[in-house]
Amino acid sequence: MTETNPAEPKRAVVATTVPTGALTPRLTSEQAADLAARSGLRQSGSRPPLRLYIRSVWSRRSFVWNLSASKAYTKNQGSYLGQAWNILRPTLDASVYVIIFGFLLGARDGIENVVSFITVGTFAYSFIQKMIMSGVGSIPANVMLVRSHRFPRAVVPLSAILTEAVLFAPALLVMAVISLLAGAPLRWTWLLLPVASLILVAFGSGVGMLFARLGARTPDIANIVPFFLSLGRWGAGVMFNPMKFIDPDGPWAPLVQYNPFTVFINLFRSCIGNEPSAQMSLGLWGLALGWAAVALVVGFVFFWRAEETYGRD
Amino acid sequence: MTDEIDYEVDIEDLPAKPSRGQVGAPSVVVDNAHVTYRVFGGRKGGTVDSKPSVMSRALNLGRPATGPIRQVKAVRGVSFVAHHGESVGIIGTNGSGKSTLLRAVAGLLPLTDGRVYTASEPALLGVNAALMPKLTGERNITVGGLALGLSASEVASRTAAVAEFAELGDFLYLPMNAYSSGMASRLRFAISTIVTPDILMIDEALSTGDASFRRKSTARIEAIRDNAGTVFFVSHSLASVRAMCTRALWIDRGVLVMDGDVDEVCDAYHLYVQGRKNASSGARL
Ligand SMILES: Nc1ncnc2c1ncn2[C@@H]1O[C@H](COP(=O)(O)OP(=O)(O)O)[C@@H](O)[C@H]1O
Ligand SMILES: [Mg+2]
Repeated sequence: MTETNPAEPKRAVVATTVPTGALTPRLTSEQAADLAARSGLRQSGSRPPLRLYIRSVWSRRSFVWNLSASKAYTKNQGSYLGQAWNILRPTLDASVYVIIFGFLLGARDGIENVVSFITVGTFAYSFIQKMIMSGVGSIPANVMLVRSHRFPRAVVPLSAILTEAVLFAPALLVMAVISLLAGAPLRWTWLLLPVASLILVAFGSGVGMLFARLGARTPDIANIVPFFLSLGRWGAGVMFNPMKFIDPDGPWAPLVQYNPFTVFINLFRSCIGNEPSAQMSLGLWGLALGWAAVALVVGFVFFWRAEETYGRD
Repeated sequence: MTDEIDYEVDIEDLPAKPSRGQVGAPSVVVDNAHVTYRVFGGRKGGTVDSKPSVMSRALNLGRPATGPIRQVKAVRGVSFVAHHGESVGIIGTNGSGKSTLLRAVAGLLPLTDGRVYTASEPALLGVNAALMPKLTGERNITVGGLALGLSASEVASRTAAVAEFAELGDFLYLPMNAYSSGMASRLRFAISTIVTPDILMIDEALSTGDASFRRKSTARIEAIRDNAGTVFFVSHSLASVRAMCTRALWIDRGVLVMDGDVDEVCDAYHLYVQGRKNASSGARL
């Protein structure tokens, strides 16, 4: 219907016609690129070089910190016990494992103090698990933020992981107290627990960023990762000593002994210092640092390589 | 998705017409921009592409018509050049791709195909910028300011002014769940204008708040426009577009159908909308 409306001003009818298709662009792609170059424009949405990217992430560190502090504050806000759940949940988990593995099944071979062994394992592993899961979901959870502001996207997974680190601090204290109450003797090496935690946060940041890229485009990852995490829980000896169940010279032994989960759990146990299976050694710290460095470099570079795609559905 | 609010404009609220003087060097070059959304578990039909083949219909017999992934081609090959000193209105019906195009040009939504070149980082002032509902207004100002690239101390020094502009009063220290939608959008507007950008994009941000706040926000946008090199302005009010802009782009179903002087494009669009209205009322009779 293009019948003239009597109320319509005449000039509109005379001056214009309703267009019927797409305009043909006035410039070809080459001409557009050339014009942009001549006017000193930069292509937007292109990925910055790695060095520049690292520098821009570093310059946004107060943003990372603020975002994670805010998120930590809102976690568990909807429940009566609130933040206490961060400590209660792993404590409940640990007590279930202590009852089943320590007492019902009696899987205490090669374990000195079963309560402290399982508590340290459970707390450390649940921290690893939370860092990885929060990395997986970080981009989808913050998609509105990503779509409304321009900033290096690594800020998002990093702050998600830092949130977990902030929440882990009180849990670390509770873990130490439970070990003490269970009869683990206090030593100076307990002071190394925060250092071990920092190395673990570095490892978690790397792995978290790796999974953040995967989880950004493929939400299904969030359903697959828990499967691997529970595999890790059993394989890494969170609640028993796996080396007592497998052939120490067999093909599986190195995998069970040197995988990052086992290494970090043993690092925590070595700080408590009462388990013969997890003795404090330079080799153990070296391994932990190695895993952290590898994860951080691989995760960061892997995440950066898809920088321009985050925020797309 | 943006929630679009249609509103009446009071004539005295309209800003002064910008002068159509000198147009400077190019500030934004958009070359054949395409944006495709992926939607999970959508239903077939509507604007969604890809007709089901006989084969897939046979395979899906007896199942509800939901697929794993659908695609919505929101922007399909838009090209234009904008210059310093230009205010460009973008008009089109709901769902024609205006917000998507702005986000893509602002570098917030990755292009599926094509290129965008800009002179500096554009700032997008939208009705749905990210605010965290569980955090207090004060905390949201901090996070928003940091996201915009301010330093922690710069944000701290401007928080009071932002809160003042948004007229929050004591609600500043309550979580955003407790805000009315007007308060939330006032805060959103105040946060996104903390910094004065060189390329400003306004996506229906003028339609927020009551009359007095609208007057205040219009004044602020005018001030930004006079400083900014280039302004992109999306609105459903043709009167506002005519008043704010020198040039207009008409987007229809993801393609650019008209690009030219603001009055010409608005007239044509007005005619088109009028035609659609007549057609629908004719069909009902
Ligand atoms: N997040 C999204 N996921 C899928 N489709 C979307 C999304 N946002 C917008 N769309 C679709 O893209 C098209 C253009 O939307 P939009 O850019 O918001 O239009 P406008 O701002 O012109 O009203 C619409 O068909 C809309 O349904
Ligand atoms: Mg819109």
